[in-house]
Amino acid sequence: MTTTTRIHPRSSTRLMEPATTNPAAPAPAPRPATPPEVFSEAFWRQLEERFGRRQFLLKSGWAFFWLFLGGWLLSNLRYLFPNVLYEPGLSFKAGRPEDYALGVSEKFKKEQRTWIVRNEEGFFCFWARCTHLGCTPNWFEAEGRFKCPCHGSNFNRAGDVIAGPAPKPLWRCAIQLADDGQLIIDKARLENRPGSREQGEFFFPYKSA
Amino acid sequence: MAEPQLPKPPLMTLVKKTKLWKSIFRHDFTDTPKTRIQRIFGNVFLHLHPVRVSKEAIRVSYTWGLGGLSFYLFLVLTVTGILLMFYYRPTSLLAYQDMKDLTFAVTLGGFLRNMHRWAAHLMVVVVILHMVRVFLTGAYKPPREYNWVVGVILLVMTLFLSYTGYLLPWDQLALWAVTVGAQMAANSPLLGNEGPFKLPFITTANDARFGLIGGTVINDATLIRFYVLHCVAVPFIFTFFLMVHFWRVRKDGFSKQTGEKVDVWPHLVSREFLAALLVTLILFVWSLVLQAPLEAQANLNVTPNPSKAPWYFLGLQELLVYFDPWIAGVVLPTIIVIGLMAMPYVDTNPKGVGYWAKMGWRKVGPVPIWYPVERPFAVNVFMLGTLMWFVLIFIGTYCRGPNWEWYWPGELWSHRRLTKMTLKNIPNLWGALLMGAYFALGTPLPQAIKARLSRLAGPKAPRLASLLMHAGLGMTMALAIFIPILTAPDAEYPVRSNSPTLFEALGRSTNAPVVSAMYRLVQEAGAGGYAMIGVMILATGALLGWLGVQLAKLKDRLFEQKGLIKYSLIIGLFLMMMGVIGKILLRLLFGVKYVFSLPAFNFNI
Repeated sequence: MTTTTRIHPRSSTRLMEPATTNPAAPAPAPRPATPPEVFSEAFWRQLEERFGRRQFLLKSGWAFFWLFLGGWLLSNLRYLFPNVLYEPGLSFKAGRPEDYALGVSEKFKKEQRTWIVRNEEGFFCFWARCTHLGCTPNWFEAEGRFKCPCHGSNFNRAGDVIAGPAPKPLWRCAIQLADDGQLIIDKARLENRPGSREQGEFFFPYKSA
Repeated sequence: MAEPQLPKPPLMTLVKKTKLWKSIFRHDFTDTPKTRIQRIFGNVFLHLHPVRVSKEAIRVSYTWGLGGLSFYLFLVLTVTGILLMFYYRPTSLLAYQDMKDLTFAVTLGGFLRNMHRWAAHLMVVVVILHMVRVFLTGAYKPPREYNWVVGVILLVMTLFLSYTGYLLPWDQLALWAVTVGAQMAANSPLLGNEGPFKLPFITTANDARFGLIGGTVINDATLIRFYVLHCVAVPFIFTFFLMVHFWRVRKDGFSKQTGEKVDVWPHLVSREFLAALLVTLILFVWSLVLQAPLEAQANLNVTPNPSKAPWYFLGLQELLVYFDPWIAGVVLPTIIVIGLMAMPYVDTNPKGVGYWAKMGWRKVGPVPIWYPVERPFAVNVFMLGTLMWFVLIFIGTYCRGPNWEWYWPGELWSHRRLTKMTLKNIPNLWGALLMGAYFALGTPLPQAIKARLSRLAGPKAPRLASLLMHAGLGMTMALAIFIPILTAPDAEYPVRSNSPTLFEALGRSTNAPVVSAMYRLVQEAGAGGYAMIGVMILATGALLGWLGVQLAKLKDRLFEQKGLIKYSLIIGLFLMMMGVIGKILLRLLFGVKYVFSLPAFNFNI
């Protein structure tokens, strides 16, 4: 054969690297004279058939096809999540605090789905949405309970679950006094953990005269 | 003299000789063996049929034509649906008004709407009955396992079509049924904003519910979404599965192959035609007599009291009362569907194909019971599951009144009835013990262990061991129910509860009859009451143990037959099904809310 074998200079240096960087390393063990049966010619042929160039191209081709198809279909899942929502606003003004009597007010239930509760210390506001599966409960003054018509959850005056399947207390909305002297309620800010829900923006202190 | 006149050929004969006629109809219609075959082969709509079929397979009382009728009802729904679409505009401002127009102002509009609604109800019934028929005639067994799976998918899609359909009228029923359904998506694990183990980036504005309804509240976006799903997307996918279903019926063959064969034309085709005619007639009368309900216009702020889903979802609605929403709304339906799909793969009993399950009378004590003779476990479990579903529907329909409180059928409803309802959790350790003992009831006693036991301790040892195991587990369960109820302090006292102990809290409530009876017993008889309760605990334990012993033989046989994996699947699904009954009883009789509860993870059972 007259063809000259070109070896890239870098590849040759890399081959020599171990020897140059670690001259103290022991010489590699001499190879056995006859290669073991596994590395026979048939083995290499089989390897070529299974993982060779043709197979590589075929498999990577199909892999990219499925990747593309799957990615495209998945991207359509994202398409189903809108970026702009056209939904009613979540905050509203609920009139002057002095207009409320002590107890649970249903004044804004039909319009804003909230109960405004006034007690001796001040105001808080329930979001009238059952924490079980989202129906609107009804207020029963005689029993002091909110009862849900869909699966029968009962909540007490504080919004805690006392019967039925609901897992969590009723949500309370942020309630504050606006500059014009009206209560302003924000249903986007919600809290139902005992302790946190009775303070800060979720409770508006208003002593009865 | 008049010439003798040849009889004039009738007009039809002339028409049949034209090129036009011949280009459309390739063969003549005289009844010969050849044309009987040609009618099937030469007709695109009929050629899915075989040309000849076993006479027994088309006996009406074998199939009741349920599969074909399901498809026919799907066609009726498609046609009536298309007609309704001409007048319906899917926006929240117009949809309800269009429904009113359809009902009162459009000629035949109300009739078409009735027909669409009643055909949908009928389709759900027929599809369920078809499934029961296929099960009881063993038609899901090899080589038809996969087609059963496709059938289950079609059942789920039938229900999903109903679900997406009933938002469209934009009335109160629609809105609140969809609110509840969508909220179940919000409770799905990982991807739901209120579900267990939710991922950290999930909020109300990107969870599964948001994707389903296209916003954070049910609105125009939801309406158009459900409209497209109902009218286009789901029927489109449904049709694909339907094609696969039919194709597989043909390729896998009917479950009944033996006996004399007859021509499909006219024997099967005429039956199909008559069945369709009969159903059409029923639908016509039904739609003329009964108006499809239309409640008040949807109001996002006011829920009707009580708010009930259509009957086929009332079972699910009732189930939601007893479990955390993600369990009743996501996990249990998934398990039911997977269990149904797995059925042909775990039921490897080759018997019972091609005829209705053989029943016989068997005496249990003095009581004669109608009992499946040939594959008792499979038939009993499947029918029990189906029955349970309808019992739940019955409870939801007839036993639930305002505020979803229990009213007996016929009892007068009162929106202001005073009740003292309360529910309490069993402490987690007791609950874990209860569930552990319950699922341990599924343990079989393998042959190898039995043999070893009898070698070690005599021939009676295996039976004794089985008895001890089941009695022990039964007693553990009884204790794990009663001890916490009798002794545990009420964790909510004094904030949310007026009673320091669970016993007092539940005993004074009106929704835990067993505990209130026990409480009264103790109030009136003191120590004697406790003694009687003790006897009751022992009796409950013994009963549960006895039930376990009754199942022991079956369990051991199943284990030997099926191997560990199939056995675990079967017994796991079976115990879960029975566990649902157990939990329902615990809730209805003992006022137990959850037996195991980790509120931080929304994990409540």
